[in-house]
Amino acid sequence: MKRIWVLFALLAFISFGCQKAATKPEAVQPAPEKEEKESVQKPPEKVTEQKIASGKESVESQEKAAGAMEEKEGIFKDIHFDFDKYDIKNEDKSALKAIASWMTKNPGAKLSVEGHCDDRGTNEYNLALGDRRAKAVKDYLLSLGVSSSKIETVSYGEEKPLCTEETEDCWAKNRRAHFVVLGKVSK
Amino acid sequence: MNSTGNRHQAMDQGHRERINSYMSRSCFAFGIYSVKFFLLLLAIHLSLFTSSDAKIYIDITSPSAKKVPIAIYELPGSAGREISEVIKGDLVFTGLFTYVDSASYVEQISQPFNPGNWTPLGVEAVVKGTVQEGANLTVSITLYDTSEGKAVLSKEYQTDKSLVRQLGHTISNDIYNLFTGSAGIFRTRILFVGERGGGKDLYLVDWDGQRARKLGLKSSILLSPHWSREGTKAVYSSERGRQWGIYLLDFLKMTEKRIFVSKGTNMAGDFFPKENAFIFSSTKDGTPALFSYNIDTGTMKKLTFTHGIDVSPSVSPDGKSIAFVSDRGGTPQIYIMRSDGSEVRRVTFEGSYNTSPCWSPSGDRIAFSGRRGKNQIFTIKPDGSELMQLTDSGNNEDPSFSPDGRYITFMSDRDRTKSIYIMRANGESQRRITPKDMRAFGPRWSPN
Repeated sequence: MKRIWVLFALLAFISFGCQKAATKPEAVQPAPEKEEKESVQKPPEKVTEQKIASGKESVESQEKAAGAMEEKEGIFKDIHFDFDKYDIKNEDKSALKAIASWMTKNPGAKLSVEGHCDDRGTNEYNLALGDRRAKAVKDYLLSLGVSSSKIETVSYGEEKPLCTEETEDCWAKNRRAHFVVLGKVSK
Repeated sequence: MNSTGNRHQAMDQGHRERINSYMSRSCFAFGIYSVKFFLLLLAIHLSLFTSSDAKIYIDITSPSAKKVPIAIYELPGSAGREISEVIKGDLVFTGLFTYVDSASYVEQISQPFNPGNWTPLGVEAVVKGTVQEGANLTVSITLYDTSEGKAVLSKEYQTDKSLVRQLGHTISNDIYNLFTGSAGIFRTRILFVGERGGGKDLYLVDWDGQRARKLGLKSSILLSPHWSREGTKAVYSSERGRQWGIYLLDFLKMTEKRIFVSKGTNMAGDFFPKENAFIFSSTKDGTPALFSYNIDTGTMKKLTFTHGIDVSPSVSPDGKSIAFVSDRGGTPQIYIMRSDGSEVRRVTFEGSYNTSPCWSPSGDRIAFSGRRGKNQIFTIKPDGSELMQLTDSGNNEDPSFSPDGRYITFMSDRDRTKSIYIMRANGESQRRITPKDMRAFGPRWSPN
């Protein structure tokens, strides 16, 4: 008779009802050395599933709460993009010029440009695409004389759709740059 | 642990029983290397005993492997019934077993096993057992080989009553291991992003869709998580306060920590196998590029330098290669490079939109999502050959392999709501595992 210790690795953190995971070596009763071919009656191996000490139900964040900024939406209309494209359309250039001149009149304001996509692509590629769209708008505004310190960009990819139908109209609405004014706005 | 000497001794004596029980135990501990070893051992063994021994073993590498007809008794009590259902569901999903309906059993569960009751039914294996429900649950399982006419596995399992399903999955793993020489995946889980009535959260669910639990993050926007190789941590991206941060979730402590943030879009990718490091894409320098990040030292290294989009990096199992998406050729396609950023080459040439690459655990294939009208799941060899389409209904995205490479989890909207699905790696047996009232995406199969 020989004792064998089996490390039951799969026991490591069994469930989320029991988060404190511990991989414990399991004592296993091995089959006897001498096995007769016919022998059906052999002492069974023993496996013990251990209920692991209960831990927390949900994740504890170690992040400090970020200070909120005043956000104002709807001052400027969204501009739109073609499928899988991030170049500024000619028809939107006058709207961007209006934004640039507003920015010079409101030196206390900061602009956040959000890039959005329709949901036909995959999430990560769309986030990259949304990033390119927001940056294309930022670059255009910089070319019109707005300071880079006044413009932030953020991509939401397909994460914040305006419209959720599967139609060309709806997709076109979602492929947009959205403008949010941050901080103080002069009257 | 057994020594090499024991193995040879076992072979010399030709006691299949002992090899069996040895196999079932040590594959858990030794992993891939020993699995290979045992397949070799098995081959020798079979050649020695082909005339007298039944071939109940399954060659899982052969696509035409014959399914094993298995009888599984309904164990007594509610826990027993659930355990039997778990075992049945697990084994049948593999595509390697067929369940023989209990209506045809001639033998009562309490009667002694008699191979004569089974061979006329074509049954090759029989699972019997007893259940004792006290403060704990004690389950004794015996697996019989009908052509050898004897027990090939006899084991007693003990657990807390709340872990009935896990116990069932453990039994499935043992049975599967005995038949195939490989470790079963029945104790694995799938991590995904779920949304129910507004906010998104991370969810962890057993691979069969049971026991979904919400992890309770604060984020409203989350991207696909990525497991660490030992399965105790995950990294994921979340947008909070107009910034995309990369967060590390420690499953043992159940804590979350932001480990990287910058201007722009930061998206976490896979962990590397050795160091405490992962790959990610970031637009912090302008265009979306790939970086490696070492968590211990807080240092990063830029790996791609194009003007286009480089995103969705996936690290090969050996850590030497990275598959990723790039639009440097005009449309998003899958590329591969060495993990230092050198030797970039394109892998996909069919289709104009190929994204979300993911390596198989053996590194022999890459799964990805390719648009053909809608997005479908494909696999391809890293050299660009043997393109295989696995789905054809709805949009199908975010593929991720099971740790044994035999299954793939993915997101599909074929039933309208985005949901998590699983299938065999050849596209068979596709099924939804998340409820219809939850939007779910970005599934990642746990490594263990």
